Amino acid sequence: MMIRLIQNELYKIFSLIRSYIGAVLFTIIIPLILWGYGKGTSHIENEISGSVSDMFLIEGSPTNGFTAAYFIMNFFWVHVPFLIALVGGDIFAGEQANGTFRIYATRPISRLSIFISKSLATMIYTLVFVLYFALLTLGLGLVWYGGGDMLVFHDGILILEGWDAARRFVIAYAFTFVNMALVSAIAIFFSSMVRNAVGPVIGTMAVIIFSLMVSTLPLEIFKGIHPYMFTSYFSNWEQAFHDPIPWADLFRGMNLVLANIFLFLGIAYIIFRRKDILS
Amino acid sequence: MNDVPNTAALSCSGISKRFKTIQALDDVSLHVPVGSIFGFLGPNGAGKSTLIRVIAGLISADSGEFDIFGLSSRSGHKVRKHMSTLVDRADFYKNLSAFQNMKILGRLTGHAQDDRIDDLLQLLGLYERRFDQVKTFSQGMKQRLGLAQALLPEPKLLVLDEPTTGLDPQGMHEIRDFILKIADEQNVTIFLSSHLLHEVELICSDIALIFNGKLAAQGPMQSIFNAMEEVTVELEVQDAPATIKFLEQSELVSEITPLANAIGISINYTNIPELIKAMSAQGINLFSISQRNRLENYFLSLMENK
Repeated sequence: MMIRLIQNELYKIFSLIRSYIGAVLFTIIIPLILWGYGKGTSHIENEISGSVSDMFLIEGSPTNGFTAAYFIMNFFWVHVPFLIALVGGDIFAGEQANGTFRIYATRPISRLSIFISKSLATMIYTLVFVLYFALLTLGLGLVWYGGGDMLVFHDGILILEGWDAARRFVIAYAFTFVNMALVSAIAIFFSSMVRNAVGPVIGTMAVIIFSLMVSTLPLEIFKGIHPYMFTSYFSNWEQAFHDPIPWADLFRGMNLVLANIFLFLGIAYIIFRRKDILS
Repeated sequence: MNDVPNTAALSCSGISKRFKTIQALDDVSLHVPVGSIFGFLGPNGAGKSTLIRVIAGLISADSGEFDIFGLSSRSGHKVRKHMSTLVDRADFYKNLSAFQNMKILGRLTGHAQDDRIDDLLQLLGLYERRFDQVKTFSQGMKQRLGLAQALLPEPKLLVLDEPTTGLDPQGMHEIRDFILKIADEQNVTIFLSSHLLHEVELICSDIALIFNGKLAAQGPMQSIFNAMEEVTVELEVQDAPATIKFLEQSELVSEITPLANAIGISINYTNIPELIKAMSAQGINLFSISQRNRLENYFLSLMENK
């Protein structure tokens, strides 16, 4: 039964134009950035090559597909949440606004089943979105600029072999997915409360922006709560490119993000279970 | 709920629901016989939709419970195993076709077979448009699709909330015909809420009336009419002045109202056959006798007593 419900929800999600807005946007903008990246880094490449070529043997070009993908990930992790919230924010509120819950929720299915199927479908959408983002950034980057060693500037220069860079990208995308799953959970939380899909998108972004501000402001008063703000860990994927990978830090951050996911989904379920559907 | 006879398709017991300051339902108990077309009547805001939404699982009651074909509301969502609903206006996933909508809803109960969907769309006259997006449908077509989706899980009880709302007279007529057809061909008990008395009078075998959240009456339509003390009847005769003179002398008639093309009279329902005989004996040529708005009379008399 649950598989049928999830199948339904995915069918509904992928039949909506709004679900493709992010993908279309990235399909246009990422190749443009990759093209611009290639044009603008030739002098940097010469400089990097000049400074380290005396000490190391670098395989391939230092501005390859890996560094291009790393550059784009740095740039986009703030923007992706908005595009993901477009779908998560609609998952309950959209049905309320369209009146389709009047039919859907009257079938002999528990509200828990409906909630789980909708939440899982939203998470699957989020995963597909992150994978597509990975395909465009890393996949297209490698096709465009080829592979080779990756240079990471963190506490000096770290040179990663191609296979190691690829492994670290898998880790980085996995952590990015968990972070984006939290964005979806916040959107679902707001979606369970209201009857229009615009409110949850705005609400989700407001929470993220507020949390980002608090977690990045270098004020003493906020420093105590920084470890508890989930946005403090939104850029933790970068740690996948440190040497050695600080697994303890990564998992500590992920645990807090996961705790937030379950918290938001838990509250959303309580709201949804008690909700009178009057529209 | 153990004292409920097993002939009940739906039995409600002591259902109450309050929205802030409004008591939407106040200790409502009713009994819908198996095989009936049950009309649930009341003015706007009386509590009809609230009760239906409680039964449909869209809102929770503050107190009370209900059974559907022996399954108790205490069993949670399983109580709706034999029931389907069309609550208020039929709304669908507009960007999907009629067929896709039926498929999605069919999957919820394991009734998504293409043949069954096609048969129902055929029954409701939507087969030719099955692959068109629902956003291109008229409200009448959406209502018919609403009936089709409600029939998909092969329900024993079909609950319809104001199914003709927003339809033109032709659309209302079509939906009425479909309801009668469904009840006859699919052997489904129908619980129908409406504020359109004429509509209910045309198709329902049993009725219940609700005012301000309280149930005022319920039972078979005919027995309610039989119990009515007086009804308004319109007589179409050849010689109106002579007929009025006769009626004024008759003890059977309590009130006479000359109309443009007929004569309106108030009479005890059981005395109508006797009056017809008396008029015939008097040589009055009676072309037609129509008892209009019986339900309306009953409805208004109940409201006056409230």
